[in-house]
Amino acid sequence: MLNALLYLRFTSLKNWLISRGRRLRQPKYLLSAIVGCAYFYFFFFRHLGRDAAHHGRNAAATQAMNDLVETLPADWHAALMAFGAFALLVFLTLMWVVPAQRAALGFTEAEIAFLFPAPITRRALVHFRLLSSQLRSLAGATVMMLFSNRWSILGGNALTHTLGWWFIFSALNLHFSGANFTLTRLADLGLSAWRRRALVLFFILVIIAMTIARLPVDARVPAMGNAMDLGPVTSWAIALTTTAPLGWLLWPIKLVLAPFVALGLRDFLVAFGPAFAIITLHYLWVVRTAIAFEDASVDYAQKRAARIAAWRAGDRRMGGTPTRGRPAPFRLASTGRPEVAFLWKNLLSTWQYFNLRVLLGGAAAILAACIWLNVRADWRGFLPGIAVPVLILAGYTLIVGPQFARQDIRSDLVNADILKTYPLSGWQILLGELLTPVVILTAILWLALLTLGLTFHAVDARLDWLTAELRVAIGLGLAVLVPPLVTLQLLVPNAAALVFPGWFHLARTRGGGPEVIGQRMIFFFAQLLTMAFALLPAVGVGALIVVISSHFIGTTVAVTIATLFVLAVLLAEVWCGVWLLGQRFEKLDLSSELRG
Amino acid sequence: MIEVQGLHKHYGSFTAVRDLSFVVRPGEVLGLVGPNGAGKTTTLRCLAGIIPASGGNVRIAGCDIALEPVAAKRALAFFPDEPRLFDYLTVRQHLNFVARIYQVADHEAIAQPLLDEFEIADKADQLPTELSRGMKQKLAIACGLLHRPQVMFFDEPLTGLDPLGIRRMKNSIVKRAREGATIVLSSHLLHLLEEVCTHVLILKRGEKIADGTLAEVAARFSNGDPHMNLEEVFLRATGGSEN
Repeated sequence: MLNALLYLRFTSLKNWLISRGRRLRQPKYLLSAIVGCAYFYFFFFRHLGRDAAHHGRNAAATQAMNDLVETLPADWHAALMAFGAFALLVFLTLMWVVPAQRAALGFTEAEIAFLFPAPITRRALVHFRLLSSQLRSLAGATVMMLFSNRWSILGGNALTHTLGWWFIFSALNLHFSGANFTLTRLADLGLSAWRRRALVLFFILVIIAMTIARLPVDARVPAMGNAMDLGPVTSWAIALTTTAPLGWLLWPIKLVLAPFVALGLRDFLVAFGPAFAIITLHYLWVVRTAIAFEDASVDYAQKRAARIAAWRAGDRRMGGTPTRGRPAPFRLASTGRPEVAFLWKNLLSTWQYFNLRVLLGGAAAILAACIWLNVRADWRGFLPGIAVPVLILAGYTLIVGPQFARQDIRSDLVNADILKTYPLSGWQILLGELLTPVVILTAILWLALLTLGLTFHAVDARLDWLTAELRVAIGLGLAVLVPPLVTLQLLVPNAAALVFPGWFHLARTRGGGPEVIGQRMIFFFAQLLTMAFALLPAVGVGALIVVISSHFIGTTVAVTIATLFVLAVLLAEVWCGVWLLGQRFEKLDLSSELRG
Repeated sequence: MIEVQGLHKHYGSFTAVRDLSFVVRPGEVLGLVGPNGAGKTTTLRCLAGIIPASGGNVRIAGCDIALEPVAAKRALAFFPDEPRLFDYLTVRQHLNFVARIYQVADHEAIAQPLLDEFEIADKADQLPTELSRGMKQKLAIACGLLHRPQVMFFDEPLTGLDPLGIRRMKNSIVKRAREGATIVLSSHLLHLLEEVCTHVLILKRGEKIADGTLAEVAARFSNGDPHMNLEEVFLRATGGSEN
């Protein structure tokens, strides 16, 4: 019977590879695959096979890596093990605390339809599922190796990293299944979910408390001196995780971690045996505790199929698929601008935290915190430390945010047929669909601007010309420009979905692959180029207005006038984009576009 | 009223619909039948303005669908074979959304009787994921009827319904036709179409083979047999195959 199951798995893999290969005959997939493969080669594979100490591209990079190693505490390796073990303990604890459903094994609907009625024992099905998950763990480990192999301070090589990650993923996977089965058995014996959670958390807290109590009094809290010196923290972590009883609890976890953190081949070989033994014990535990999983597996498979269908249809909006109705974000009147109906609808599809109350509360919290920091002389030094990451976040939100805020036509393309029956022009539907991500991203950027405005301090005398009035004018100007800027950013991926629906459909394919990554990279660079092209005229002329007119009317007034000019240009560009895409949407025949 | 003149739709070198002309008047229910791939769904989607026709003229309630799409769509409703609902809107919220799109003032007064008629009033605060397929279908139809359309297009409306649901759907269609709506109904369930439709149009490979009242079309293919049903008429008209 296992032969049949292995045949299923390997034949599926072979045919999947063949079908992906055949797809490369189409230029759009071939181009994306070339870009994706080039990215993978230059970023990952070029460094494989080299000695770990020579992963830097040049002497400067190698020197930077050596400098980093010198700043680390002498016992950083043991500390890495300690922190890693503690992180895994947190994951494992969550596996015993969180689950509320009966245990299920992740069979697909097709596997259920064929295998469940077949003359296969339950144990054979469990073996099949566990072996499949091991293959997936190995694939995931290979991907993680591509990243970790670049960190030369970790030591080891591609093989040791791959196997090290496989041990970690495999252990987590098997422990999750074993914990689920065990919890289901306990639930059948009458242990309620809340009592179980309380017991697990109580057990962990008692272990940690007992361990801390057994430490010397002066070692129970890390002695922090210089904030840049991590030595006391690493020493404390090592002491905590090697003292009983927490040390006993973490000992098998450390055995699983040991192959990954092994510095050389000898250390790896020594660590291999115990780690493999832990995995084997987990495997036997899962097989022995497997209970009737069929009902839960069928339910799980149906929900998984629905999630995949939604994903393929483009529905990857923030918030996921809801299971319960939510109150509306605001009252939608029966008459009025129809575009507002789309805003209302799409807000219901995303996190319920995106509402006016949270926005105003966030602004009030930022205001209070920044004012408090400003009036406290000893805390004022933190202000630049807040401004810099907020500035980075704002830039990231503006450039990458549209890729994540997908509550627009990209997620509603599957409903294009219905949308096109509405008595609305194409531009009205486009505008309506754009409103939600525009509102969300604008709110985030406004909060960032508020923070920047309150935390900015001219620490350098060369910035004395940046008076308070000018800063306010610039801040308000940027705030006014944010909505059209964000809309322009969103127009690009929406245009991609409407103008190249076949390529957009490629991006909705689950499973990734170099051609999907390549396609996303192509669209991302196209977005950056389009934005530069759209912004250059407006920003250029705006800067010219400021430079010329500031001599006559003062810089503050000049900035205000320039802002209004830039706003007019951006609004005109937005209007053109929305109208053109609306026309495109009216002519779109999705079934015809996807035939190729 | 629906007026179609020379409707033509092609995808590259493939012609899905060729030179199709017909008229459906208020109170009439036209059954659109044909083998798989005959062009029924393509025809309906062209009439509803979902896809642009490659040629020809379509007028819905006196408005050209190509030149005055917004005015034409205000008068029509399209019901696809698979109910298309928004996963994150409850039943009540779906009606609220549609009311705003179609500018249906005081929609609550219209929505509640619809929910009662389709027996989904007790599901008003549930999401589509919590509804059975039949209930989803009823919700989709309630949304389409909210703005009191003069023209309705149904694409396989009886698929997936239980016998009671089929009976209620038929009654609903007949009721709307009696109230003056113009209805086009596409389905493979020919014996059920016989109970509901006043006219029939048979398509094969994108071309009209027959068009008229049930009696007229039956007479054309019956060879004098007075007891021929729509299924037999269909098989004779299409030659019993898709090609």
